[in-house]
Amino acid sequence: MEIRRKLEILADAAKYDASCASSGSHRKRDERGIGNTEGMGICHSYTPDGRCISLLKLLLTNVCIWDCSYCVSRRTSDVKRARFKPEEIVKLTMDFYKRNYIEGLFLSSGIIQSADYTMEQLILVAKKLREVEHFGGYIHLKAVPGASKELLLLAGKYADRLSANIEMPVQQDLDKLAPEKTLGEIEKTMADVKFGIDDDKDNSKSTGKKALFARAGQSTQIVVGASESSDTTILTKAQQLYKDFKLRRVYYSAFSPASFTDPVIRDRPKTSPMREHRLYEADWLIRHYGFRSHEVTEGLADGNLDLEKDPKLAWALRNRHMFPVDINRASKSMLLRIPGIGVRSVARIITTRQFRKIRLDDLKRLKVSLVRAKWFVITADHNPDVFRLDRENLSDVFAKPKTQPSLFDVLTPVMPASAVTGEL
Amino acid sequence: MINAQIADNFDSWRTAAREFLESGERPEDIFWNTVEQASLFEPKIGNLEAREHLRVPAEFIKVAKAIACFDGAGKWPLLYRILFRLSYEDRNLLSIETDADVRQARVMEKAVSRDVHKFHAFVRFRVVKADETEIYVAWHEPQHLTVERATPFFVRRFGTMNFSILTPKGCSHWDTKELTFSPPAEKQHAPTADDAELHWLTYYRSIFNPFRLKIKAMKTEFPVRHWPTLPEAQLIPELIREAYEK
Repeated sequence: MEIRRKLEILADAAKYDASCASSGSHRKRDERGIGNTEGMGICHSYTPDGRCISLLKLLLTNVCIWDCSYCVSRRTSDVKRARFKPEEIVKLTMDFYKRNYIEGLFLSSGIIQSADYTMEQLILVAKKLREVEHFGGYIHLKAVPGASKELLLLAGKYADRLSANIEMPVQQDLDKLAPEKTLGEIEKTMADVKFGIDDDKDNSKSTGKKALFARAGQSTQIVVGASESSDTTILTKAQQLYKDFKLRRVYYSAFSPASFTDPVIRDRPKTSPMREHRLYEADWLIRHYGFRSHEVTEGLADGNLDLEKDPKLAWALRNRHMFPVDINRASKSMLLRIPGIGVRSVARIITTRQFRKIRLDDLKRLKVSLVRAKWFVITADHNPDVFRLDRENLSDVFAKPKTQPSLFDVLTPVMPASAVTGEL
Repeated sequence: MINAQIADNFDSWRTAAREFLESGERPEDIFWNTVEQASLFEPKIGNLEAREHLRVPAEFIKVAKAIACFDGAGKWPLLYRILFRLSYEDRNLLSIETDADVRQARVMEKAVSRDVHKFHAFVRFRVVKADETEIYVAWHEPQHLTVERATPFFVRRFGTMNFSILTPKGCSHWDTKELTFSPPAEKQHAPTADDAELHWLTYYRSIFNPFRLKIKAMKTEFPVRHWPTLPEAQLIPELIREAYEK
């Protein structure tokens, strides 16, 4: 099969992995080769689905012995199969990188023969890139659940990031949809990777050598809406993964039935993109705004996030007794909880208020969303809206006007780029 | 009214600004004019920076060097106004993020930083062979005067490659040893094809998911003004049309 055809099949099969992050790693260029990482990820292009292209995202092969219902490459799926030779991937990566199309490679694979064999094949590509080409760009390898610890520790030597996808938040879902997978096995894989990272850091402290093992950490992905599990279940799981395995990111992927989908779940409705978006926002609150998952999900009627309101606003409306907050005096952690105010605005408020009292107009200048924030804050000047904080129907103020959705804009909020691409 | 004639770069502005600041010229009395060759101000060798009232926070130099790359009106008077206020009004001025001058400076600084980031992202090299040597040549159209600021990134990354980045705002060249800059070029100086591009276009087409169109989200991060210099962007109308058919 010619390269171009393989590229079509194996890029097409790779696009269901949402991660495209290339940040968080620092690697100087090897003087014999090309490529480095400088911490900040770069999105080199964007496709009309709003996703960024930062990495060459490929499967080594889409042949798979497993049969996960939601997956295009599952054993019983009727798709064309292909397999790259390692040197073909190496050449594509180098050709693309030298032309500045990409930051590096994200290589995953269907399961061939066994978890260990598959992991070995992925490692082989990364090894060739690092040791033959002296490639210093970003490499993200799939950590195959169930692969031996030795292989995972070898993979982390070459890769900037490793990811084992958990796919479902509870074992019952896996039993139904991914019978070959167990949470225990996937979490064991995450634990092995975490061991590699911690061990390398300890060594680096005692030897003074730079830690290079999976410098950009590990991530995972959860398919949303292929099972009955609620947002509450999903976010509880995500928080546990962040805590137990120090994951950098959990990605959420809205289930969408397609021709390849297993008949078992083909009749399930398409998950609303807004649900995926709200999960990313809630995830953001947990990682950067000091929220705990139960705060974000408490009191939700069906356990799912409100699609109409962002989760911080929804939380604030449920917790009006904690407001209003005095912009000029409140702690950083409380400022972060005000709807419509982001991390950067909070930093600017804290710097500025050492020297000047902050007024309502100042907030507008700092790009705070006053539509949301004004009900919850006390400023140095008169803020009339804060006196209406306790009114019964405050929630209605934020309801979206019911308009005819246009062809282009239906349920396509402008997400923070970072949520789309996995950048911080 | 003083008519200050400077070249459109940081050093030229700084030389003039020091002189004005020392003699206490008020910002509203200076009219800043950029010309090809600065004539009025010769750099004075003297220990001006050591004089107390000419000392400015390091943060100001950082911001000023970024803003110097802004391609638009108002940057030189703004910088002098901030410098003057730092010296005679409030040394903490840059911490007052709500101040109108500071805000405007931050907006310009951000525009430059975004342009540098997009420079790093959207340069597309094409290979040309000169004798036995491969040279990677790109045509890029930055919005601001960012060629000198953005190029060292490519040197760090592609140090073993010969490359040239051609833009309408100046060019940069790396021969694996030395980085040089040259005057603006035109698009027809850049190569028009490359062997790897066909694979790149195949990849772009295949990684796109036609079942989740988000055109607005794409345009926010992928400004249409950059599309003409990006080979893959030529596929966008076709991909959107096909997605609707599906």
